[in-house]
Amino acid sequence: MTSRQTVSLLALLTLAVGAVIGLLALPVGGAAPTPAEITRGKYVFGATGGCGCHTESGNPPKPPNSGGRKYEGPFGTVYSSNITPDAKTGIGNWTDEQIITATRLGRRPNGERLVPVHPYTVFNGMAAEDLRVLVSFLRTVPPVNRPTPPKKLVPLFESIALPAWLAAFAPRENPPAAAPTTGAARGEYLVRAVAHCGECHSPRTLTQATDNSRFLGGNAKGPEGAAMPNITPDPETGIGKWSEEEIAEYLGSGNKPDGDVAGGLMAEVIEGTLAGYKDLTKADRLAIAKFLKTVPPVKNRVEQPKK
Amino acid sequence: MKRSALRTTVALGGLAVVIAVGCASMETAKMSPGEAVAERQKLMKANGEAWKGAQAKAKAGDLAGVATEADTMAQNAKKITPLFPPGSLEGKTAAKKEIWEKWPEFEASAKNFEMEAGKLRDTAKTSNKEATDALVKDFGRKACGSCHTPFRVPPPPAPSKG
Repeated sequence: MTSRQTVSLLALLTLAVGAVIGLLALPVGGAAPTPAEITRGKYVFGATGGCGCHTESGNPPKPPNSGGRKYEGPFGTVYSSNITPDAKTGIGNWTDEQIITATRLGRRPNGERLVPVHPYTVFNGMAAEDLRVLVSFLRTVPPVNRPTPPKKLVPLFESIALPAWLAAFAPRENPPAAAPTTGAARGEYLVRAVAHCGECHSPRTLTQATDNSRFLGGNAKGPEGAAMPNITPDPETGIGKWSEEEIAEYLGSGNKPDGDVAGGLMAEVIEGTLAGYKDLTKADRLAIAKFLKTVPPVKNRVEQPKK
Repeated sequence: MKRSALRTTVALGGLAVVIAVGCASMETAKMSPGEAVAERQKLMKANGEAWKGAQAKAKAGDLAGVATEADTMAQNAKKITPLFPPGSLEGKTAAKKEIWEKWPEFEASAKNFEMEAGKLRDTAKTSNKEATDALVKDFGRKACGSCHTPFRVPPPPAPSKG
């Protein structure tokens, strides 16, 4: 072998090794997303309220998306999952498709069903493109090795109660071909599917499904024991007296028309984690306000529960 | 001679501090939980009015007005913690018991409110509209929210126009 042949062979080998390393470096599931896609993904992430259930609150706050937040219900006790790209304790080894399936269909890669504290029946209404860029963004969040505590479910919940409930009682949003871009239609898409407002603000039926016949009518026993306001346009018990501008202002800053500010879980989703409702554009906040004005008013005065 | 004068001054100063602290604590001690709740609600109402005023004035470009409202909040902030005597959860209060479980954090939140209000006042005084607007934009969440989010049950829904 001449020295020129040796050099060529070495060059080829280097190229091959380089290509293999390059392929391995790619995220599972396809070509690397562009910075613009990641930015759009972060925007969608903010529009969900920063996927806040997946970050444990506290002082100091736990790392974003590292899960571990406790949820108790008639089903038992569950903890939100670590959705950082950590390979062992997060979703680092999941393909894009697997993450999307868990988000909107509530199925883990092994086929197991998620407890619908994660509102997949609602996220099912997200546009495919929004879910795709959301996943791209999730992969850019620093990985955190933090195992999710094991769930404790009541007997037969996963095998019988949950599938039956999903089939018989759970309302499900349907995805649009593409996310609407303007006006009340945009607002409706954001409210129903992405920002999942109904999960907290709609009352629940006996089976704990959201009662969409009283959509956004308030829930005295909302998540984490908090009372959730009626945000329908009823002037006495809802937010009928707020102007669209005031609703948009509130979503962006937490400031209410009367000089008060948002508190509790609403403050959390406005602030978000790496992004929140506050990062929505004014146009999107106004679109939400426009849609909220079209929701049938529900007369329901929500009282605070006793401390 | 000089030394004795100094000694007298220190002694008098010390006495004044003791009296002042004594009076202040008597003032708080005299307050029943119900009174404390009523007093702090009055204070928070005033803060709400001041914050509403600050926002309206910022929108109108009245920076001197913003400074006045912010100063009201900064002064009010100093009065917050004494109005939360342990266990004052009587009647219609939105205070959470976590206030007393995490008292240092609660104190820090009140201090944060005072500092943020002071920052807003001082910035508005410089007549720098851009910097003032930037502070106004985040003030609700950062100054009020640092306390309201962890320590207050969100107010009764049915929000009405103020």
